[in-house]
Amino acid sequence: MAEQRPAPQMPRVMGRGGPPPHQRMAMPTEKAKDSKKTIKRLLSYIGKNKYLMIALLVIMLFVTLLNLFAPFIQGMAIDKITISENRLQVDLEGMVYCLIALGVVYLINSCLTYCQGIIAAKLSQTTVKIMRKDLFDKISYLPIKYTDSHQHGDIMSRMTNDVENISNTVSQSIASLFSGVLTLIGCLCFMLYYSPILTLVSLTTIVLTLLVTTNLTKIMRKYFPMQQTLLGNLNGHIEEMVTGYKTVAAFSKEEDACEEFNKISDKLCKASIKAQISGGVMGPCMNVISNISFLLVAGFGAYFLIIDFNPLALYGAMTVGTIQAFLQYTKNFSRPINEIAHQYAAIQTAIAGAERVFEIMDNPPEEDFGTDTSFDVENVKGDINFKDIEFAYVEGETVLKEFDLWIKSGQKLAIVGATGSGKTTVVNLLTRFYDIDKGTITLDGQDIFGIPKRKLRESIGIVLQDTVIFNDTIAQNIRYGKLDATDEEVIAAAKTAKVDVFAEKLTDGYDTMLTEGGGNLSQGQRQLIAIARAVLADPKILILDEATSSIDTRTEVYIQEAMLNLMKGRTSLIIAHRLSTIRDADKIVVLAGGKVVEAGNHETLLAQDGAYAKLYNTQFAGIAT
Amino acid sequence: MKVLKYLKPYWWLALLSPLAMILEVSMDLLQPQLMSDIVNNGILGDGDAASNLSYVVITGLKMLGFSIIGCLGGIASAAFGTTAAQKMGNDLRKAVFDKVMHLSFQQTDKFTTGSLVTRLTNDVTAVQDFVAMSLRMFVRTGMQFIGGIAVILTLNVNFGMVLAISMPIQILVLFLILRKATPLFSVVQDKLDKVNSVVQENVTGARVVKAFTREEYEKGRFDKANTDLMTTNLRVQKLLATLNPILMVVMNASVIAIIMIGGFQVEAKAMMVGDVMAAITYITQILMSVMMVGMMIQQVSRATASIRRVNAVLDTIPAVNDPENAVTASDIGAIEFKDVQFYYPGFSGRPVLKDIDLKIEKGQMVAILGATGCGKTSLVNLISRFYDATSGEVYVNGVNVKEQSIEELRSRIGVVLQKSELFSGTVSENIRWGKPDATDEEVKQAAKIAQADEFIMGFNDDYETMISEKGASLSGGQKQRMSIARAIVKKPDILIFDDSTSALDLSTEAALHKALKENLEGVTIVMIAQRIASVMRADKIAVLDDGQICAFGTHKELMQSSDVYRDIYFSQMKNEEGENNG
Repeated sequence: MAEQRPAPQMPRVMGRGGPPPHQRMAMPTEKAKDSKKTIKRLLSYIGKNKYLMIALLVIMLFVTLLNLFAPFIQGMAIDKITISENRLQVDLEGMVYCLIALGVVYLINSCLTYCQGIIAAKLSQTTVKIMRKDLFDKISYLPIKYTDSHQHGDIMSRMTNDVENISNTVSQSIASLFSGVLTLIGCLCFMLYYSPILTLVSLTTIVLTLLVTTNLTKIMRKYFPMQQTLLGNLNGHIEEMVTGYKTVAAFSKEEDACEEFNKISDKLCKASIKAQISGGVMGPCMNVISNISFLLVAGFGAYFLIIDFNPLALYGAMTVGTIQAFLQYTKNFSRPINEIAHQYAAIQTAIAGAERVFEIMDNPPEEDFGTDTSFDVENVKGDINFKDIEFAYVEGETVLKEFDLWIKSGQKLAIVGATGSGKTTVVNLLTRFYDIDKGTITLDGQDIFGIPKRKLRESIGIVLQDTVIFNDTIAQNIRYGKLDATDEEVIAAAKTAKVDVFAEKLTDGYDTMLTEGGGNLSQGQRQLIAIARAVLADPKILILDEATSSIDTRTEVYIQEAMLNLMKGRTSLIIAHRLSTIRDADKIVVLAGGKVVEAGNHETLLAQDGAYAKLYNTQFAGIAT
Repeated sequence: MKVLKYLKPYWWLALLSPLAMILEVSMDLLQPQLMSDIVNNGILGDGDAASNLSYVVITGLKMLGFSIIGCLGGIASAAFGTTAAQKMGNDLRKAVFDKVMHLSFQQTDKFTTGSLVTRLTNDVTAVQDFVAMSLRMFVRTGMQFIGGIAVILTLNVNFGMVLAISMPIQILVLFLILRKATPLFSVVQDKLDKVNSVVQENVTGARVVKAFTREEYEKGRFDKANTDLMTTNLRVQKLLATLNPILMVVMNASVIAIIMIGGFQVEAKAMMVGDVMAAITYITQILMSVMMVGMMIQQVSRATASIRRVNAVLDTIPAVNDPENAVTASDIGAIEFKDVQFYYPGFSGRPVLKDIDLKIEKGQMVAILGATGCGKTSLVNLISRFYDATSGEVYVNGVNVKEQSIEELRSRIGVVLQKSELFSGTVSENIRWGKPDATDEEVKQAAKIAQADEFIMGFNDDYETMISEKGASLSGGQKQRMSIARAIVKKPDILIFDDSTSALDLSTEAALHKALKENLEGVTIVMIAQRIASVMRADKIAVLDDGQICAFGTHKELMQSSDVYRDIYFSQMKNEEGENNG
């Protein structure tokens, strides 16, 4: 069992009052698949701070012991003022001693509780930090295939919600479990010490507690998942309708959307009421049970006191102090059982969350067999050769087959072809975002599998259709291409890519903060920034994958010259729909059915009157078929 | 607290919940008193053993009875409170959603869709939880506090002294620590946002990170954000870690004081031992409720933020509204802009559109061409009245758009947006969005015109294939063609393409144009495009430059009269080659 901080947050403070049931119970109980293994792994994470953990466990042990000890002294103090023999013979002096002892116990306890809080906070925070870091490191090195084939929202939610859940559980649930179990055992010991017979009496109510908890949990297990599913449906609907509001409005679907929403919302409301009530019943029922237990102890206690019956007790005869202390222990005894029942759902959710986190961590990272460390990025000539390539994203659905392509050093090569003909795939393979199934790709005669991925990618500059804008200033976004670039270099790159035209109009100029979606820029402006980034990176090989598709053609003409300059002296690979972009290429290849069906320069291809000529004519003649 | 009006229909539930809670708490408050009676008069009673025992049993049963009543009160309170809060939350959620659905584009843009989603989900839930908690916890805590003080004073006035000292200390400690911690909570939130944003960028931008081999750099960035978050979190938690022990010390000191005072009082025969035991329970209860107040203050401050955010949505008056007396359309398919100016609200400075005068006749195909950010999308958005012109008038179907019912207006217009948005459901469901009662043939026909039939038939379940995650599995071109089919199946009188063929390759686009011409006779088509080839065959071409229409005419006319048009033309066609066509 492991430890954790006793919620430095306040809920723990009100532990005795019992947390508002709807807060803790509202968590969905996700079922974990292999809990044992996951728990083990989770513990090993916490175990990375071995000394903190041991210190915490020791302190917790003392805190719990002192907590158990306090009622004992309290009972003694009360006994001093109620010595029974000749009734009400008050031993004030004895009481004061007891109270001083009690004060010392309380004080030490508070100090230890403080230490416990600090250590626990540190432990849980460092654990979560390490876990987040590991997860992020993992994500950084996952193959593109993983990010391509998994929902981004899902990956995000593992990083945030799941790790957060684990952190909360580590800090609260496990702590209350540990101290709960200790308290349980301790209470039992003290109770037995005072009076085995009364212990027996009060234990009978535990049966009642168990009965109520299991039955209520059964009901809750029915309604809480229902509530959770409906909530998921509702949120899905909201997400879809709100992000797609333009389409909703364009098709006048507002009323339909509202109607559907109301339907789900009503269902959710009904399920929630049931779930929450079943959760809310727990508290009052436990109150009754603890009162029954109290009553039984008081009743039997009084009876045993009167007949002076306390067999097997180490403490000696039954006294009022015994009963007082015993009653407190009875109360303390039922609390952890309550809490464990409350924590069950939270722990289940956390384990399921941990499973989802570990699931990412268990993915193999991008493989890199590149061992040729002598490969020098500076000396790359950029002679690229695809030989007899076969590739499929999904087994059985071949995208490229018997694909051959030779891009000579310094050549400007353009790839054209219909949507889905595999143009972008060529880029994915060259950069090793994906790996070929068959064939070889060489760079300057060397198999790219032998080149360390890092160096391979450093020699390639790439501008993508979907531009990525980081939550930072325009300058920083450009600087991404070369982290140590001076301001002058950044501005020069911006000028080349015509970023200066709009950037200088903004009030903060290059220091304007961009939002991650790039919402404050047009798609075209974002592409210009991406081009500036590549300009700054100054790579040996340049790939433009539909890099100018959102830039209007006039602006494109403006930057054409810059692009030409950029491409000069390096191997360039251009993918575009717009033929105007590619006409100047040294070589144009037409892709169809995963193969190169035509190759040549603009004039020769037109003269051939084949696929390229057809494409070209449709563009220029408009609807000329 | 405007949202509270949504609680009104359930006022009786909202009232019953605290009432039932009063019942529960009163019973709770009686318990220690009865307990003390059991000790004083039963266990330590003056009578003989048998009568003492029967006193214990009778009082005990009374106690049990009370606690069962209390339990029922508690359950009733939970039931009423939960029902009231859930129903209120349900109504609130519906109202907010309804409002969001009726906001104009500019209003939605201002809020941002992400924030609207959080408001609808997290914030509404926070308000709902807050109501549920207030209905029960405020009353509970208040009663425990006041009731506890009252009872403890009746036990012995001297106990009041303990309270008079310990309570102010507790309140002061709470106040000081919370005042320091509360601002830190929002700092933690900011740091968490920062961590999230780095992750988001890395997940969505994985290709760029890898292409620039910036993994190490990103790790550094993340490390910084992560460490920042941890440090701040630790600061908050260390601060809060002091709270618990200090409050405990105060509480335990009070308990000691009670026993001490009690001891002297018992010796002076002024009170009985049982009363001391009861007093311990009461004082714990009172001081506990002070702690609870601290908790609730935090809750309130969190809830107020949510309430404010929800209210902001509810208070927004939709900018685009139906007229009181809708005028029915007369000249269906015609569009006219009269001296239109358009500014984005809140953006002063240059207008997005300026002096727009444009007449499009029924059945015409008009193309709009212009540089990035020159106002093309804004122009077509005025037709569907997604925005209202700042000045000037827009006439669609012969009637000013402001005088038509929005629903009728939009029902005649099919729009294909720049960014194709698909919804989860099957392919045919998505296309049928345009016309819910469309037959299978109509759906197929629309898909054929949109050049989508072929690839749809290539799917495993053809038209019944499920589209997941907004069409993440489809290519950009496929999504666009499905959006086009969706607009066509509507059989609109006006069809608007907002740069919605950009992901189609040229031959597909050409086929689409041909099919449109053949199948949609008499439909007015307004088409924004980048490629000259897409617009050359239009009946009229409007060239937008910097918010103004700088040329309007056929391809031939424009080639002669418009420098800008020629510029665009040559940028794509280059010199001589293009001229043998057209």
